[in-house]
Amino acid sequence: MSNKQKIIDIFQQALTYLAASVGAITLFMIIFFVFSNGYKLLDFGLLVNDYHAKFYNGGIEDEISYSNTIRPNNLDDEVFYSQKWGIGLKDDNDREGNPIIIVDFIADDSPLKNIYDKNNEEYEPLLLETGHLLSKISFYDKQTALTKYGAEYMIEALNSSDTFREIVYSSLGGGIRGSIITTFYLIGMTMAIALPIGIFTAIYLNEFAPKNKITSLLRSLIETLTGVPSIIFGLMGLAVFVPLTIQMTEATSANIISGSLTLAVILLPVIIRSTEESLKIVPDSFRSASLALGANHTQTTFKVVLPSAFPGIMTGTLLAVGRVIGESAALIFAIGTAVKDDISIFGKSTTLSVHIWSLMKDEPANIELASTIAVIILMIVLLLNIIVKFISKKLIKDLY
Amino acid sequence: MNSIKHKGDSIILTQKKNKKEIIDSVVRLLFLITTILSASFIILIIIFISIKGIVPFVTDNNGIGRVDIITFLTGRVWLTGTAFQSNLYSVGFIIINTLYIAFLALMISMPIGVLTALFIAKVAPKKIAEFLRTVVELLASIPSIVYGLFGSGVILVFVYNLAEAFNIQSKGGNSVMATVLVLALMTLPTITAISEVSIRSVGKDIELGSLALGATKTQTNFKVILTSAKSGIFASAILGIGRALGEATAVSLVAGNAKSGPSLGIFDITSTLTSTMLEGLKETTGIDYDIRFSVGIILMIVILITNLILNFIKRKVGNVDVK
Repeated sequence: MSNKQKIIDIFQQALTYLAASVGAITLFMIIFFVFSNGYKLLDFGLLVNDYHAKFYNGGIEDEISYSNTIRPNNLDDEVFYSQKWGIGLKDDNDREGNPIIIVDFIADDSPLKNIYDKNNEEYEPLLLETGHLLSKISFYDKQTALTKYGAEYMIEALNSSDTFREIVYSSLGGGIRGSIITTFYLIGMTMAIALPIGIFTAIYLNEFAPKNKITSLLRSLIETLTGVPSIIFGLMGLAVFVPLTIQMTEATSANIISGSLTLAVILLPVIIRSTEESLKIVPDSFRSASLALGANHTQTTFKVVLPSAFPGIMTGTLLAVGRVIGESAALIFAIGTAVKDDISIFGKSTTLSVHIWSLMKDEPANIELASTIAVIILMIVLLLNIIVKFISKKLIKDLY
Repeated sequence: MNSIKHKGDSIILTQKKNKKEIIDSVVRLLFLITTILSASFIILIIIFISIKGIVPFVTDNNGIGRVDIITFLTGRVWLTGTAFQSNLYSVGFIIINTLYIAFLALMISMPIGVLTALFIAKVAPKKIAEFLRTVVELLASIPSIVYGLFGSGVILVFVYNLAEAFNIQSKGGNSVMATVLVLALMTLPTITAISEVSIRSVGKDIELGSLALGATKTQTNFKVILTSAKSGIFASAILGIGRALGEATAVSLVAGNAKSGPSLGIFDITSTLTSTMLEGLKETTGIDYDIRFSVGIILMIVILITNLILNFIKRKVGNVDVK
């Protein structure tokens, strides 16, 4: 072997190593990027909070009975406490990074528990709780305490006053509860539609269909669906399922039902293919044995073939669930991009993926919250894929 | 007595058999219906998108005027928004942008993907190959919106800094280059997975023959195995370009949404057929709404024609046996 050839060989070998490292580096970078941006906001509150903050304007009665609760020992050092008003406040940052004053503690005998709603004719009582954000307390005789002056000033102002004109507070927004609920609705409804249709189609194609031109035409029509980009499915959802659901239900716009119908069509080829693959590996001897024992075709299919094909159907279902969680382009058309807190299957809302898209399309883009949602999506999707890999490995082991 | 009993039994038997047969045919009919339903969706898609997409060309769009189909297909400016109230929509430059971007993305991801596949199938030790295979599977399973997020968080910054190094002011990094890079990353797992299968299925005798003739292992890999796997590698390119042409959300986050073009400079903002469809979602009626379906038709035609051409080339190139 010539020296020159040796150098060429080493060079080409190095090229393959280099190329192979690109994929691994990309995966690592994506995971690193998403986690490093997203971990800060990842807490339980994010999952259960509403996205849109609710604001309250409270007033206080003329006769005030002040609190007698002394500062509890378990409060953090950075909490400012007012014994007179029985409230502990803390400086913090919200999910967009803006400063906030958060209610860390409120005593049972605090006069702030007896405030009423100023926006309401009936003066209904309001409930100030820990976790709420105090944005403003205005007084009769001194400067208004605002968020930007900090918790310490707000407590001092409260301590030096006997009453106040108005207290403005809000719930902590920026949560993704609504999107999580929508995602679950969508997974459930999509699977309820796509699984029976997909599995029955696969059974027909594999167990019943005669080998003729019509069958192969049906088969190729279904396979064509695989190559259609998801945004085209979205257009179909907009053109077919949205008007259909508006006509048949109380919905007035794109809604979760039209979204799940659209997704069901996207998933059909996935489910059909994985079911068919698993039906194919069920040995024919099972079928003949069952038929020979007097079972009919239906019984054989449902009691013998399907249970044997179950792991394959399972992996197909899991992959389909992953696809529902990740799908964005089709859903932007089929259920819209409005982030909602009150979820109805007849209304618009967003799944986690579309929520990311809405956040990124906003000016300015909220990369942190988007990354946090991406962390959740990535963890679910990667976990699903590893489970699928595990199941199919076990399946192959059991068979051979 | 005995025979009567026997007769009764057989009646019950035939009844049972009949019932079973009825159930069988009912179930079979049900399955046939679901199959026809599954197969009809592609036809539904084509019919409904065509009906909606043709509206701007055949009606006067509430007084705005008919969209001229030649201008639509060849023009260089896309007007949008109710402020314009115009029928001068055109996608000519967007078609060029889309094909240009998909082509460039494939130029990056093809060599990397094929070499990765070669590495996994032939070069790497078993453990590393298994690890990389998992990496490719996981990359394939990452949703496109996450690629979009990664693109706007990392690739846009990278492109912006790169452009600055060349003294070019890019629009926050939104550019042809950023779109190409995102699409290259997204098509990489598809290309790698399919190429790997075709490389592994190259006959052992071909490989051994080359080695016996005195070629080195690397020479064999590059000159013999890659050539023999040509057809499968080409198939991976077809799937890859399909994904690149149809990708929507990730592209819409990094393209920059150019309204005129074509954008050929790598730091220019651009737009693709899909990113154009995702703009102006607020309209629910009128020409701005219908025109999206027209763009959808164009997208399907572009994908179809690209596939036909590539398949034609694939057949010409053929599955060569090395002789």
